[in-house]
Amino acid sequence: MRNILPPWLRSARVIIGLSIIAVIALCAVFAPLLAPHDPNEQNLLTTFLPPVWAQGADSAYLLGTDSLGRDVLSRLIYGARVAMMVAVIASFGAMVIGATLAYLAGYFGGRIDSLIGRAVDVWMSFPPVIMSLILMVGLGVGLRNVILAIVIVDWTRFCRVLRSEVLVVASKDYIAAARLVGFSHWRIITREIIPASLPLLITLVSLEMGIAVIVEAVLSFVGLSVSSQTPAWGQMIADARQYIYDSPWNLLFPALTIFFAVFGFNMLGDGLRRTLDVRLTAVQRV
Amino acid sequence: MDMLIARDVSVTASFDGGIVPVIQELSFSLPAGRILGLVGESGAGKSMIGRTIAQLLPPGFSVASGELMFDGQDLIRLPAETRRELLGRDIAFVPQEPLSGLNPVLTIGRQIDEHLGRLNFGHARLRRERALDMLNAVHLSHGADLLDKYPHQLSGGMCQRVLIAMAFASKPKLLVADEPTTALDVTIQARIVELIAELQSREKTAVVFITHDLRLAAQICDNIMVLYAGRPAEVGPARDIFSNPAHPYTRCLQLSNPTVSGPRRDLYALPERMPGLSAIKGIVGCLFAARCPNVIEACTKALPPFIDIEPGHVATCIRPEATKAIAPPGLQRAELPQAGQPLLEAKGLTKIFKSSHGFFRRTAFAAVKDVSFTLNEGEFVGIVGESGSGKSTVARLLCGLEKSGEGAIVIADRDVTDGGAVSRQHQRTHVQMVFQDPQSALNPRRRVGSIVTQAMEAAGGSTSAERLSRAEALLSEIGLPPEAALRFPAQLSGGQRQRVSIARALCVAPNILIADEIVSGLDVSVQAQLLNLLMALRRRRSFSMLFISHDLSVVRYLCDRVLVMRLGEVVESGPTEQVFASPSHAYTRALLAAVPPDDPTVIWNPRGAEVAAPVLTATL
Repeated sequence: MRNILPPWLRSARVIIGLSIIAVIALCAVFAPLLAPHDPNEQNLLTTFLPPVWAQGADSAYLLGTDSLGRDVLSRLIYGARVAMMVAVIASFGAMVIGATLAYLAGYFGGRIDSLIGRAVDVWMSFPPVIMSLILMVGLGVGLRNVILAIVIVDWTRFCRVLRSEVLVVASKDYIAAARLVGFSHWRIITREIIPASLPLLITLVSLEMGIAVIVEAVLSFVGLSVSSQTPAWGQMIADARQYIYDSPWNLLFPALTIFFAVFGFNMLGDGLRRTLDVRLTAVQRV
Repeated sequence: MDMLIARDVSVTASFDGGIVPVIQELSFSLPAGRILGLVGESGAGKSMIGRTIAQLLPPGFSVASGELMFDGQDLIRLPAETRRELLGRDIAFVPQEPLSGLNPVLTIGRQIDEHLGRLNFGHARLRRERALDMLNAVHLSHGADLLDKYPHQLSGGMCQRVLIAMAFASKPKLLVADEPTTALDVTIQARIVELIAELQSREKTAVVFITHDLRLAAQICDNIMVLYAGRPAEVGPARDIFSNPAHPYTRCLQLSNPTVSGPRRDLYALPERMPGLSAIKGIVGCLFAARCPNVIEACTKALPPFIDIEPGHVATCIRPEATKAIAPPGLQRAELPQAGQPLLEAKGLTKIFKSSHGFFRRTAFAAVKDVSFTLNEGEFVGIVGESGSGKSTVARLLCGLEKSGEGAIVIADRDVTDGGAVSRQHQRTHVQMVFQDPQSALNPRRRVGSIVTQAMEAAGGSTSAERLSRAEALLSEIGLPPEAALRFPAQLSGGQRQRVSIARALCVAPNILIADEIVSGLDVSVQAQLLNLLMALRRRRSFSMLFISHDLSVVRYLCDRVLVMRLGEVVESGPTEQVFASPSHAYTRALLAAVPPDDPTVIWNPRGAEVAAPVLTATL
């Protein structure tokens, strides 16, 4: 049994990370089926209900209700949709831009490398939070623009880390050999270099997903993300902030949800890095 | 007095859930002031003996029985505290990789000082004086400047001298030198070996000299132990073993090494490889039986005992008298194709590497300077030279991996110097290259079959079935079974990987093959297999080859003509026999003098290797 699974699936970190993400992803996909209530359904008669295990709770609202009497659990489940959408689309977008530039810089070197390298340096000298806030002000409010802002700010993470990996692979003799047998640059990059750097790429994407979840929460906290009609975790924290003394539960649940989501992505990324990174596994084998 | 005595030492490893013998029945005695050579190919267990002495066995390995007496104390049963006192003081080590033996972030002076401090060499001023004396003793001039340098600012040979100086600082009673010259150039190797011998005879140190080079061991050692798969194959006085080997393995090792003088003889290529740790457990009889040319049925029945050949000369072979008869099969050099028309011409090739330090300082380094030569059809030409001589750059220029600054390359009547698409296509179909390091030259993620047919994949228009059948044909040509096509490079041995690399180059049927140090780093028996393969391919395919190597004996065996390169220039060229028999340039003479002679009774004078140290870079 143990040997059937690939090594990366045998790592405890990967299993924990994947399970957490799978639960959140299922919530996002099947939100209408899973949520006990409509997340926007207000019931002003039952506001600030505590979760079921506390005194004075209503068993219809498992995690209680917020200031407008909306079901917290349903809002968390629906909030997963926004979080997952941003996590997946934004990190893939950042990966596509960052990785493309990294492959160009690492493979061709010389002027292209220094040009892209300088661009990354300049980009990274802006504080990321300020930069995304300015971008949001410029682009306008909305989920699409949140994704865009994350892509524009975070592509440098991929570019910088991946470039050094590509440099190592591109200096191998098998790349020279591929050139000698007549592989085109495009074919060398797609057939020889990308497969070699894929483990790193996967790892970076899973870490970026965690970052994207946080950034989306931050932006929706300050009201720059989705409209108030769509439930989002950051928004829930922002709403609960005013009533923190009356009802700390309302703040705690979305905060914990964000924590677990990011924890899941980081565990997955760390586990993948440990099992897929050729250099690390080589050291461990010795 | 015997400084180090091993009595029936055996080392075992837990491996794949079982206990495997790594070293068996190791016994020797090493008197003070003598050198014992441990000789064998990789996997023979020679480094494991060095590690046993230091008690630095890898995890999972342990000494199962026997005793290792050093100066009256058993190293194996010594408490760790006492042993630490001995190591570095009474027992010193010289490692294989000089650069990894030194800490890259500390100056040489600091590292020597720390070592002397540990040996209680008085206060700082005294230690510094002592350090300068030490550097003097290993013939490093400008010692005071050297103390402020970092390891990366010194050459490999200088680092090794520093390490030797440190090893001898405590006047050790025993020195363990684990392949101290393998990572160095030939001329430097000779001088390092000489240095160890000089200090050793002055200080009356006992030396355990670990090497894979039987010729080198025969020159400098008093006694030699040849190891095979962790068990002594033959032990005795160095010259006896060399001139009268009793174990077939010793004889085969000797015959698989090409010579630098005397008549060119064929190589004996031992089949297969030394059994690995997992295989040793299953072998009942003699460990060498599977590869032995003299094997009889009795060999596979029981482990051969130690048999006295002469006083002090023992071998673990039940028919030592048959060993003398082993001879390499004839290769019929007469059948080799004769050189024809010029196929490749290099005219005045020059390559300058520029590097910038900051905004204004730029240095230029001419890796190749005005190199001209021709390669004829069906001819094997060797390029020899030390590292930094520009031989690899010439190879990369010729196959189009680098663009030359000046000069012209004409291949099969077409000038390809411009490097345009048509030229490159022309170059590719005529010239292919085999790289030095097969580990780096084969994509670990591709199967062997897909690696060797990469050229067909690049050309397009072939089905995967066609490619597979072509791969199988190529693999059988280079001596690998067809099922190897489905394996990954990591599942092959170093020699097999190099074969795959050759097969990939042969896929487009080029008329010129450029081989850049393709046998360096391989064991002699594997080297002999590869060299014989190249000879066989040459007969069958009649291609030309540019064979780049630092090993003069290999070039002599394989090549019709030879170019000697030094600092980017060709200093001598001519027919191999002529250049080797009567070298005209001082550098060629130095290179030849640095190779230990084939006959151990000839006195080796590596002092002939003195060549003025060159200035490598010029500031523009």
